[in-house]
Amino acid sequence: MPPSKAMGNGVVESPMRKPAFAARVVRDWRSGDRAGLARCLIVVLTLLAVATFTTSITTGAADASLANILRWLTGEADQAMSARDRIIILDIRLPRAVLGMLVGASLAVSGVVMQGLFRNPLADPGLVGVSSGASLGAVLLIVLGDVAFGPLFAVLGFYALPFGAFLGGLATTLLLYRIATRGGQTSVATMLLAGIALGALAGAVTGVLVFIADDKQLRDLTFWGLGSLAGANWTKIAAAGPIILVSLAVVPFLARGLNAITLGEAAAYHMGIPVQRLKNIAVFSVAGATGASVAVSGGIGFVGIVVPHLLRLVIGPDHRYLLPASALLGGTLLIFADMLARTIVSPAELPIGIITAFVGAPFFLWVLLRGRSNIGL
Amino acid sequence: MIRAFDISVRLAGRQVLHGISFDAAPGAMTAIVGPNGSGKTTTLKAISGELTPSAGKVTINGRDLAGLKPWELALQRGVLPQSMVISFPFTVREIVRLGLMANSGEASAHDRIADEALEAVDLAGFSGRFYQELSGGEQQRVQLARVLCQISAPVAGGEPRYLLLDEPVSSLDIRHQLTIMRLARQFCAEGGGVIAVMHDLNLTSMFADQIIMMKAGRIRARGAPKDVLTDETMEAVFGCRMRVSVAPAHDIPFVLPQSAAI
Repeated sequence: MPPSKAMGNGVVESPMRKPAFAARVVRDWRSGDRAGLARCLIVVLTLLAVATFTTSITTGAADASLANILRWLTGEADQAMSARDRIIILDIRLPRAVLGMLVGASLAVSGVVMQGLFRNPLADPGLVGVSSGASLGAVLLIVLGDVAFGPLFAVLGFYALPFGAFLGGLATTLLLYRIATRGGQTSVATMLLAGIALGALAGAVTGVLVFIADDKQLRDLTFWGLGSLAGANWTKIAAAGPIILVSLAVVPFLARGLNAITLGEAAAYHMGIPVQRLKNIAVFSVAGATGASVAVSGGIGFVGIVVPHLLRLVIGPDHRYLLPASALLGGTLLIFADMLARTIVSPAELPIGIITAFVGAPFFLWVLLRGRSNIGL
Repeated sequence: MIRAFDISVRLAGRQVLHGISFDAAPGAMTAIVGPNGSGKTTTLKAISGELTPSAGKVTINGRDLAGLKPWELALQRGVLPQSMVISFPFTVREIVRLGLMANSGEASAHDRIADEALEAVDLAGFSGRFYQELSGGEQQRVQLARVLCQISAPVAGGEPRYLLLDEPVSSLDIRHQLTIMRLARQFCAEGGGVIAVMHDLNLTSMFADQIIMMKAGRIRARGAPKDVLTDETMEAVFGCRMRVSVAPAHDIPFVLPQSAAI
């Protein structure tokens, strides 16, 4: 039998033939290369995000099925939906889903960047006081806005609130980094404790501000601080969207640097990363994304810590894939949580923060109890 | 050539290095030895660019370190730090491939370089393991493989490249100590340069072409092993009254701790 025939009968695999896509992904994964798996997951998460987004628009008390929306959009039948349903879709559900996507993505990505920067899976803007700092910035503007920051409102208009939250978040992040990092080494214990202290301090000052607020300001504060997407509207999206989108657009450029910094700041420098510049951009992005999210939806916990952690278990810590995957999963989860929040006790609504805490906190404990040694505390 | 010109370093207000000067030629292995706290690691950090000297300067292939961008420097020298804690679940392959960041080229070449580097440190077959599940010595070799990926060729663009290794064999068993030291010597033989902080004087005298012996932030002796490792320097630098014997067959000095007087 000629040798070529033996090659062709399938028993002897030709080394030249490329294995099937799935086989290649599995082979790479076995040899410690999870990039293929990560790409597959990102595709799945994108589909999931689109599906959740669509479901969220068509779910609720008013009947607006996907088929009806499509018929209305294509102009096939203008009567397919009543004017009331159109308003519900366009001015209530759509902005809510868009804001959920933006806020969820920005919370998850802030978590990833902050964890990368501090080289620790526990660093989350919510846990280490950055959200509280951002809240303080926003509350400061609401309560003292007319007195002290009149010109700011005049110049920035509805951007003033996200901007205040951004500054509050930025100040907290910088302070935290300054306190917790000595000689390029970040102390985790110092970071967590300092974060708790800073968060408590920001909370106390916020409390004082709430105490001296007048009735109108109190109403503003209550509406704003619900930790909810209930107040979503296009104005809020216009105010927070640009800051969030800019932050989300910047962070992919940090991915390689964040990978390198996992090995320590010195090692990252040795590998050719301009570490100081990376840190500056990362801190500004986190402050921007967290600040803008807090400004429009209050404090929503656990997304920034659960989503990246879950994804790291599956696709590993490579930030080139972790960042987009976290953005997608964060947005999807928040929209999903919001759907739960507004349907469980319909027609009333739960604050979304309750849902994320109910799901997130037990999940987090479960992860800890599983005793994954590579959490690396 | 890596050259240090009269470098001094201050850390937290304390002068740690006092006017260190030396040359490390390509094709040769330079070992920095000395007692704990004598400034060996600080010297290596000043040469790698991690620390900026308060006085003096360092040049690499004739260019002042202070004028080079991190990524330019990353193409000329790789650095193996002493120890490294990683809190994220990277696989061995993912860690090693981090070294290829500065390396442009296609993915298949990257895979080949990564595999070769792992093989060179005797970790073939470890690529799918989690870094955190490895022993200290294995982790150290993974890091060395990463550095070898960054500086995959000892000479590039007609210029020699360098490996700066801080105690590269500190957690290794005797067999792998030899593997790594031979690897470093091979790197030198192919035209690159190696500067290593060492503790094991016998390995040092066996492999180093030049020994820099430091004490209290100053260079006390510099030269070939048989000129530097003497009864006098052992006592003056390490405070150990011990005899340095010379193996007759190969003219290689060795040190027996049993000969210590105290």
